[in-house]
Amino acid sequence: MRLQAISPSPPRALLDALAQLGIRTDTDLLFSADPIDIFRKLPSSTLSLHDFHSFVAQVSQQASAPAVCGDVLFEQEKRKEENDLYSDLTTGVRELDGLLGGLAPPRVIEVSGDRGSGKSSLALQVVLRHLSSDHNVGALWIDTTGDFSADSIPRLLESYEGHSPEAVSTTLERLQVALAFDIETAHDVLEMLRTTLSTHPDAPPVTRCVVIDTVTSLLGSLLSAVSSQGHAIMTTFMRQLQTLAESFSLTILVINTSTKCTPRNPDSVFATTDRKPALGPSFTFLTDTTLWLARRETAEDGGATHVAEVFRSRLVPSRTWCSFKIRHGILSDT
Amino acid sequence: MAKRQLATLSLPVFVLSALDRAGYQTVEDLSGATPDSLSKDLNISLPSSQAVFQATQMPRSVPLTQSAALLVGGSKAYSTKLAELDALLEGGLKRGFILELSGPPGSIKETVAMNVVSSFVEASHHVLFVDMQNMTSPATLVRSLRTSSSAPQDCQGRVHHLRIHTLPDLMIFLRNLPSYLQDHPETALLVLNSLSYPFQSLAGLSNSTRVALLDRVKQTLTRASASTKLTVVITSQLATKLLKPDGSAADFETGSRAIMAPALGPAYLPSAKTYRVCVVPRSRTAGVFRLLSSPLAVHGSQPPVEEAYQLAR
Repeated sequence: MRLQAISPSPPRALLDALAQLGIRTDTDLLFSADPIDIFRKLPSSTLSLHDFHSFVAQVSQQASAPAVCGDVLFEQEKRKEENDLYSDLTTGVRELDGLLGGLAPPRVIEVSGDRGSGKSSLALQVVLRHLSSDHNVGALWIDTTGDFSADSIPRLLESYEGHSPEAVSTTLERLQVALAFDIETAHDVLEMLRTTLSTHPDAPPVTRCVVIDTVTSLLGSLLSAVSSQGHAIMTTFMRQLQTLAESFSLTILVINTSTKCTPRNPDSVFATTDRKPALGPSFTFLTDTTLWLARRETAEDGGATHVAEVFRSRLVPSRTWCSFKIRHGILSDT
Repeated sequence: MAKRQLATLSLPVFVLSALDRAGYQTVEDLSGATPDSLSKDLNISLPSSQAVFQATQMPRSVPLTQSAALLVGGSKAYSTKLAELDALLEGGLKRGFILELSGPPGSIKETVAMNVVSSFVEASHHVLFVDMQNMTSPATLVRSLRTSSSAPQDCQGRVHHLRIHTLPDLMIFLRNLPSYLQDHPETALLVLNSLSYPFQSLAGLSNSTRVALLDRVKQTLTRASASTKLTVVITSQLATKLLKPDGSAADFETGSRAIMAPALGPAYLPSAKTYRVCVVPRSRTAGVFRLLSSPLAVHGSQPPVEEAYQLAR
């Protein structure tokens, strides 16, 4: 934060004198040297020591994070739960919902797995179920590989219970698909979402669910062993997602691909898992839950049994797992 | 735009670090400044400071967002003039989809490409035909358009023919493709004839470079087909791949059998929008179209669908 932004605004002479010493921001003022040493370097006619100390106190108060008492926070959470008017987001598989602890906003969930493990199918099912259960909500699908195809959606919508044919077209209209092939475009798309949600928070359709398919193609090429800039870009992007989810009450599903992990993945309950989520070991700490999907057996009727496990989570116990079936793109209990 | 972090804007690194040192973190912090005052404050040049303000304006091009209702099919299918191939493509080639035809030399893949060109011309669309191995000259195209029954008189003005022989030329062409499509919005079909040729003719192309260039091809094709609904027809030669008895990849020493597969592999095409068909001739006039992958079928899970064809003499 710049010192000019302190309110009430400090005298011009003081700011110029501090700028001469190379102190322009609050971190410079508070952490570069002891206040007494800084005061000694200032020209003697600027201000008194007492005024300078009160100025430093003012800056440190405005720079620090606001504090909230625990009981006030608890009351806020309870009120939010009671007022929760949003229909529940669900995956359609009871065991999977239990594994994840529900999908209520605000939440950022990472869904990772090998190719064909059902990540996009799971995300699409969550989105379509949500759109068809409540006619005032919308969803945003950020496609980074160009693999999104809307042709299978009408068929999927018909399979959910209590669905009417007229609602198919409105459901499709409320699903916004954005193409973003690089990180700058993804930031622009999120900016557009932030503008829409902050200027018209209640105008239907209200976006509650965002899917990024896949985040690996946005960030994977930036990570390198010799420079940490890619890692910084990755962390900034994921933090933006977290703040977006917090401020606008969104559930964000982030789809990640996998890389090799020899001889086996120690986070997994199963000894046969020899792959791990891509984007490095720190990516799992940038999301609330890391879900790993794997395909087990293929049945003769075209369906397949898949297994979902939680590698790491802030909200539910890890090293838990459940199985589910996928048949023609529809997830169901086993 | 107010809450956006300045670090996420695409600006040069020295500008971003100067902004950070001076304490500007979000776009809101710049609200009281002008380019002049900012350039003095940060000690950077005036054009750089103006670039900062330009980047903080709303993005000029709206990010490609549309509702899924507009993406659902029902668009017109263009015939390949071969009933068996149309059956494999479930009615014909639709707008925004990519058809890759691979086959040995002398198979009818170039003929199929010309058939698709005449289908598009009959529907009054413009076509961009890129020939990379001199297989289809402009004269051949004119002849095939003249013989097709319902082509209008001025159809020649609708087909643009381009010859590209080297890989750098191809990359430059693909780089300029989005701006070409913006200037010529009536272009509905792009034909890349013998796309495998520039890649195989360059000796000493390392595997990583090849993969990176093919990824660039994939990005361009995906963007073009998604944003402007461009239909693409690609013809490609086959390459010999050696396999060990268990089916894994091998080289000349360890391999036990050889198969012919499309030279560029499946990775350079967006799987949700591509039909990959291999032409397998059995005799001079008859053969089989084999569907290697389609947008709906998962690659390699069931035996590939085949349709036998017979050429009229």
